[in-house]
Amino acid sequence: MSYLRLDGVAKRYGSVDALRDATFSIDAGEIVAVLGPNGAGKTTALEIALGLRAADAGTATLFGGSPKDLAMRRRLGATPQQSGFPDALRPREIAQAVAAHYPHPADVDETLAAFGLDVLAHRRTGELSGGEQRRLALALAFVGAPDLVVLDEPTTGLDVESRRALWDRIRALSGGERAVLFTTHYLEEAEASATRVVVIDGGEVRFDGTPASLRERFGVRRVSYTGPDGPVAVATGDTDDYVRALVRSGVAFSELRIATTSLEDAFVTLTGSPR
Amino acid sequence: MTAPRLILAHTRLMLLDLLRSPAYLIPTIFFPTMFFLIFAVPNARQPARADFVTLSFVAFAIIGVTLFQFGVGIAAERGRPWERYLRTLPAGAAVRFAARIACALAFGLCAAALVAITARLTTPMDFGPAQWMRLGLYAVAGAIPFVLFGIAIGYWVSARAALPIANIFYLLLSFAGGLWMPPRFLPGIAATISPYLPTRQFGELLWSIVGAGDATRALPALAVYSIVFAILAAIGYRRDERTRYA
Repeated sequence: MSYLRLDGVAKRYGSVDALRDATFSIDAGEIVAVLGPNGAGKTTALEIALGLRAADAGTATLFGGSPKDLAMRRRLGATPQQSGFPDALRPREIAQAVAAHYPHPADVDETLAAFGLDVLAHRRTGELSGGEQRRLALALAFVGAPDLVVLDEPTTGLDVESRRALWDRIRALSGGERAVLFTTHYLEEAEASATRVVVIDGGEVRFDGTPASLRERFGVRRVSYTGPDGPVAVATGDTDDYVRALVRSGVAFSELRIATTSLEDAFVTLTGSPR
Repeated sequence: MTAPRLILAHTRLMLLDLLRSPAYLIPTIFFPTMFFLIFAVPNARQPARADFVTLSFVAFAIIGVTLFQFGVGIAAERGRPWERYLRTLPAGAAVRFAARIACALAFGLCAAALVAITARLTTPMDFGPAQWMRLGLYAVAGAIPFVLFGIAIGYWVSARAALPIANIFYLLLSFAGGLWMPPRFLPGIAATISPYLPTRQFGELLWSIVGAGDATRALPALAVYSIVFAILAAIGYRRDERTRYA
């Protein structure tokens, strides 16, 4: 049984198809990155998975049940989308209240410390910086020690140190029964941390597989050189052919480079848009 | 994890947030007492008059807290990311409502107690133990339709409009309901509509403690109001949920 499964899910807002036919799942032990440009349908997919919205068509299941079922949600932890905490509350108070929702929560102080919030635990959230609020948001997803953690763009607004702490935390959780689903704009993160990548664009799942297979399947090489009008960079499937044509064309060029394929290149090929 | 524990956790968060917000705390808790000191105390020289006017201001205090805690509170918070996040937690909407009701009752009873204590110290009002008991019971019972009224305002009105609208209802209904002056002194139109207002019925319920009101009529009237406001609140809640979380 999948921890989370979207099956042929469609969602329409007015005349806009946010999701057309989205099918993907996440199972025990996986770290799944959901990639896609802005407006691709990532957030809608997550909202349906979290039980915040209902699908127009298709089904969403959480631990085999409804995402609105409290018994299923007790195994799920999520981050607040934006960090709009009630100003007067303190991180520790919020974390304690969130932990109270779960049958076997993690230690509140230990979780706050893991995100570098131990020294800030008694400050008001209104006095915290944007990055600190973001770290609190992440700590809340983990404090219930849920089986599935869902993070919507977890590293946006985080400094390098906090990013590392987050990935350490995520990796510490994985390998067992736990699973993590996150959306991101950062391809390097998906590449470095995910066991599987789901690419959503235009409301559809365009790819679902390991980071390595994404690169293989949509592998492109980047040819770059300095031409008469300045630097040129071209992504192409057949670099040999491209270079032959370039030489034959008689255009003056220098500093010819053929770069190895990256996930970012694959992503551009896949969605037709950078990031 | 169990419902009572969750309600407690949510109530604690709400109370802490409100207790640290003087802009909320001072008007809701102290205004009724301030009004009482300015308008009621100078005219409450006889014990019977003091008893009556104290009961009126107890109702006024409770109505204020319920309308502001629910009406303004819900309208301001329902669109916030924090509310959206709370919906992802394994707790039903009922838990959040129960916490809100617990908060409103706590603050409402505080505001009312402050009025009663001030009255005891500054006027010749004097209740026996049985009267104090009835006051406590009736205060909670009479608060119910106003809690529901507040929820209805909170879901029907935008965050910006909620404060002025709650204020208009609060002041107009309190005045026309006879909570600021005995109903028989109310001017023309106010006197005509007064018997049909929930504030008047809340007043009647409390005044019955000193034999100046009719509880047997006030209780069913408040029950009818509760049903009407509950329906309005439920429609408003669904409407908000449909637009925000459909």
